[in-house]
Amino acid sequence: MADNQVQPTSPGRATLLYAIAALVSLVGLADSIYLTVEHLSGRSVRCTIVSGCSEVLSSPYATVRGYPLAAVGAFAYFAVFSLATLAAFGYRSLGKLLAAIVGAMFLTTLWLLYLQAFVIRHFCQFCLLSALVTTTLTILVFFAVRPKN
Amino acid sequence: MKRILPFAIIAIVLGAGLLMARHFQRTSSETPTASPDASPGASKSSASPALADATNSKEPGAEPPHAQGDATAPVTLEEFGDFECPPCGMLHPILKQLQAEFGPTKLRLIFREFPLVPTHAHALAAARAAEAAGLQGKFWEMHDMIYEHQKDWHESFDVRPIFEGYATKIGLDVEQFRRDITNEIVERRIFLDGKRAHSLGVSGTPTVFMNGREVPFESLAPDKLKPLIANELAAHP
Repeated sequence: MADNQVQPTSPGRATLLYAIAALVSLVGLADSIYLTVEHLSGRSVRCTIVSGCSEVLSSPYATVRGYPLAAVGAFAYFAVFSLATLAAFGYRSLGKLLAAIVGAMFLTTLWLLYLQAFVIRHFCQFCLLSALVTTTLTILVFFAVRPKN
Repeated sequence: MKRILPFAIIAIVLGAGLLMARHFQRTSSETPTASPDASPGASKSSASPALADATNSKEPGAEPPHAQGDATAPVTLEEFGDFECPPCGMLHPILKQLQAEFGPTKLRLIFREFPLVPTHAHALAAARAAEAAGLQGKFWEMHDMIYEHQKDWHESFDVRPIFEGYATKIGLDVEQFRRDITNEIVERRIFLDGKRAHSLGVSGTPTVFMNGREVPFESLAPDKLKPLIANELAAHP
């Protein structure tokens, strides 16, 4: 059977990892939709754990070509959710595309952490949550697509 | 059924996302500071072509404006600022540095009051303090003081004694400053700048116009604004 054809859902390790990745991506999706809504409605986002949400989310780095970076994140998390769900249901060949997207998201996360730490000099808890989600996704997808041998 | 199930799950999540988007649209249109630019299909930083070179035909704002640099300078930056907004505070040292680099003969800076009320609780008080200092000829000194100490006051409960402390530091007659905070001229200047902001479609801060054209928000980063000014200077030597 070709890779890109539907395969029966197996209770295997990869299926479990993809399913967990899909669920974890929903956390990132909810987080980024919340930030997008707050950004576009012009309201100040208040941090309850750290104190730099307003500084980070209203900085010039919070937009990409005029669009909120959080909205780009929401699309990325939705893509990850879709691909991880399909991979969990047997569309295993999508795992490579999923790995590429998650890899790009992880590199972006590293860049955003650098900006928060050294350029803006403030941290936003919602961005840190997104960084945690992306890092978790990276680990999950890495082990899911890794060849057995 | 197993073939359909993953697509059904994805469709459900997509539907939930679209519901969120609808919620955003409703929230956006109900928010006083939101403008047509703050919609999903557009953005604040996508400068409207209608605004280009059209600022002179709009509301004039408070006269004379608070300006630094020669009136004949080839590049004029007109900033609509809110003293309590963090990105305005971050933009402040960038503009200071650019003013120092280009000099008053090439770069003119105009500051317009656009306090985002009620988003920022002390923005109006800060605008009043700066305008009151302006009545004693020290607008820019107070402007700099308020921005440079933004973190010291923006979470305070009562900012009046803090601003009075700044008034003392920059050498104002503090009694006069205290009276001027509620002066009708101060109120009117803020009102007129606000009218100009609305006539130009300004919805948030900082919004900067360069020779009448809105500078995209992301171009206010230090590494992007300088080349924009340099290009404008090259176009208007």
